[in-house]
Amino acid sequence: MKLSPDEKLEIGKVLEGLEHYRPKRKGWSWRRKRHEHRIGPFLYKNTSENLKRSLPLSAAHAFGDIDPQCDLTITTEIASGRFEDDLRRMRMAAWHGADHIMVIRTTGQSHIDGLIEGTIEGVGGVPITRKQIRATRKALDAIEDEVGRPINFHSYVSGLAGPEIAVLFAEEGVNGAHQDPQYNVLYRDINLHRSFVDAAEAKRILADGNILQLDGAHNANATAKQAWKVTPELFVQHAINTAYSRRAGMPADRIALSTVPPTAPPAPKIRLDLPYAVALRELFAGYRFRAQQNTRYMEADTLEASVTHVLDTLLSRLTATDIQSTITPDEGRNIPWHYHNVAGVNTARQTLMGLDGVTEQIVLKKDGGVHAQVRELKERAVLFLEEILAGGGYYDAVAAGQFVDSGYFPERNGDGIHRDPAGGDGAGSVVPREADYGAPVCSHFGTNVYASGDDKPCDAIGGCSLCDASKIRYIDELDPEDNVNQRLRQPLADRAAGVLRPEVEKHADGVVCATLFVPASPKVAEAAALEMARHMGLREPVVLSRRIMHPAEGSVFEIKGALDAAVRIEDLQLDDRPEPLPEAEIEAWVRPRQLHVVAATVGEDEHSVGLREILDIKHGGIEKYGFHCHYLGTSVALQRLLEAARDTAASAVLISTIITHERVHERMMRELHELAKRHRLREKLLLIAGGTQVTDQMARACGLDAGFGRGTRGRDVASLLVQMLKARGS
Amino acid sequence: MRCAPRKDDFATRRKHLQKMSDQELHAHFWKLVEDIVAPLIEEARTHTTPSIERSVLMRMGFSSVETKVLVQRVLERGLLGRGAGRLLLGLARTKGVSVREAGTALIEGKYGEELGA
Ligand code: B12
Repeated sequence: MKLSPDEKLEIGKVLEGLEHYRPKRKGWSWRRKRHEHRIGPFLYKNTSENLKRSLPLSAAHAFGDIDPQCDLTITTEIASGRFEDDLRRMRMAAWHGADHIMVIRTTGQSHIDGLIEGTIEGVGGVPITRKQIRATRKALDAIEDEVGRPINFHSYVSGLAGPEIAVLFAEEGVNGAHQDPQYNVLYRDINLHRSFVDAAEAKRILADGNILQLDGAHNANATAKQAWKVTPELFVQHAINTAYSRRAGMPADRIALSTVPPTAPPAPKIRLDLPYAVALRELFAGYRFRAQQNTRYMEADTLEASVTHVLDTLLSRLTATDIQSTITPDEGRNIPWHYHNVAGVNTARQTLMGLDGVTEQIVLKKDGGVHAQVRELKERAVLFLEEILAGGGYYDAVAAGQFVDSGYFPERNGDGIHRDPAGGDGAGSVVPREADYGAPVCSHFGTNVYASGDDKPCDAIGGCSLCDASKIRYIDELDPEDNVNQRLRQPLADRAAGVLRPEVEKHADGVVCATLFVPASPKVAEAAALEMARHMGLREPVVLSRRIMHPAEGSVFEIKGALDAAVRIEDLQLDDRPEPLPEAEIEAWVRPRQLHVVAATVGEDEHSVGLREILDIKHGGIEKYGFHCHYLGTSVALQRLLEAARDTAASAVLISTIITHERVHERMMRELHELAKRHRLREKLLLIAGGTQVTDQMARACGLDAGFGRGTRGRDVASLLVQMLKARGS
Repeated sequence: MRCAPRKDDFATRRKHLQKMSDQELHAHFWKLVEDIVAPLIEEARTHTTPSIERSVLMRMGFSSVETKVLVQRVLERGLLGRGAGRLLLGLARTKGVSVREAGTALIEGKYGEELGA
């Protein structure tokens, strides 16, 4: 399957022939780092290979549209419940620099003792089934070709079916996985013995499949109210999973610690979070670090979330990090929307590019405050471990509620999570292996009569599915109603009818978000804002965020609601401006004709930068093609421009009008047209205006020949001039 | 026994750690972790579970729907501790059929008594 940038991802194509699809590659991929990397005007220190296709940060157009890629893997979590909608979002995220796509599992999948199949719809995540992950891997294989960088696909090996899910992932080319038996125990109440015994098998499979493992420690600070107080325990959780993974056969560089800076402003974030980050890197030297952005304190304000995430990312750069995981800025208010995934990814890449090379200039002090705090944290963690052993070991510690206590260890508040080692889901299902126990397959952990000799254990059966993919048994659908084919009916019908609806998450969900400031006290303002949203035609409006600007002066609200509007593509008025002519063609036509244009910023407007960019040869302006430009400056009266036009026998007048207060820009345009008519110059002159708020439509409505807005290039203007002058027969 | 509330007694509790260099402290940390993990990994080495056995059968070429039934058959006979994969391979050999055929037959309710014989 091959993607073309101007065509939508066809889900039908993804599903076609899926029963035979094999992943292009397996195992985890890091970015290819570049240390002294010249891109556009800059020499970068912490980058990786450029992408073949991407959408750069907005400001990039001022630097030649560069899109430097940082050296860290960037993660985004995408799981709306319908994988077919998620695939489109994954493609968008990849175009913004994400190369680690995490798919959360649907609510409750942890408690299913076995695998599920098909494409049933999920809640708060996607049901992880062979078909869904194969389809996703297939789409990602195509997306990685499109952007030109490997994309790691990631999901979770937890719950009651860990070993089976691990096999599934190894077979289907999933590249990264969460695996941490403590997570099952603490947050899913799965039996302790079951969880750990399963985990060793799962880890062995992941290790042989070269799949990167993340642990689950960060959930402790997502749970605790005072998240910074659980830091001693975080070291302990990381260590138990790490040591257990090593014993199960996992190499150090496939073990990534999942760590989150625990606090958020107004807490003195960096001062609190930095010692913890440093201590972690020191204690776990040799392992990988996946830095997650904070979720615990993220509420409805997306801007506030983004600022916290910038600070999180700063910490990643100041310490050592391999993967920068992003949290969408709408994390605290809804299941993430398409464009918030992209926003989260952009927060990370913008911050990391801004911090490029900073560690060559800033180093952390080795002595003094940070070090003392680092040392203290480590000692607290050691004391935690000593207490586990003194109390009889891990199982007894969990039974006693030693974990996720809100006290700053050794302080204890007695509110930890208790689990009975003999209880929980799957209790009693662990069975001792007999002396002749055997499993004639690869990647099996523990005693096994088939694993004694030099041969592969699976030789006994002529190869297992991990060695011979033809042994994999693919199931398509088990549920005739709840599946992707049913769900695709509406999108396909819409496509056939040529209609478009707004969406944030799932095809045609109709959800839109409006921002309203209402100048009244909070309660009144909120009721008014909702009422206004109804006036806007939004169905079931809900306040997503509210922020008091002043108790009496007003509040601002973001309101979501459904907009029942399907627009027909064929009824739309599209910007029909043609692609600019080739440069050589423009110049070949202009140069011999000795054409003059006069230009100025008009009114009482002193902004010159934009217009200079349109004119000046140094900026690729129209002079380059041979136009003789007479630039009269800023705050120029229209009358003067027209006189200059007459004196130079100009073909065109170009005005810039940046200030728009009281619609002064529209007035300028209209007056120019009128004045030119009065001077009987209108037929002889092309009148063109530009500025940030100018549109072509607006300029024409004001009587001009064309208008240009933000992002215009000299070539666009030159091309249009040529076309219009040709049409006039000059 | 449940953890009782306790005040932060770090200052006294840490006394024995105070003299350790950072390196010694790290080594102590990892030694403790190894001691905690040792019995856990030993249990894993010598035990199995329905999910492990289903994952073995998956690797032997059975679908998730099939592994569920097969492991159920093994569990009903109290034979999980010998390994579902090994039992199936044994059955196939006795019957002179392929592993897949043996599995399918077992799912259809055949060969039950001969399993593990
Ligand atoms: C630089 C700047 C200034 C500089 C201008 C220096 C100079 N020599 O130009 C200074 C500091 C002097 C200045 C002053 C003021 N500024 Co000022 N300024 C800016 C700023 C930061 C950048 C503008 C810029 O140069 N952009 C880069 C160029 C390349 O982009 P551009 O102008 O959009 O031009 C592109 C297109 O619009 C188009 N285009 C523009 N003109 C033309 C013409 C033609 C013929 C064509 C084809 C295309 C075209 O092509 C260009 C290239 O792509 C903007 C904020 C911002 N970030 O946009 C505010 C901004 C433009 N300024 C603003 C204001 C209000 C002022 C002041 C009134 C502030 C004050 N109260 O003192 C004064 C104006 C004084 C005056 N009498 O004009 C407002 C305008 C708001 C509005 N829409 O009315 C802005 C948007 C800031 C804001 N958000 O408040 N400013």
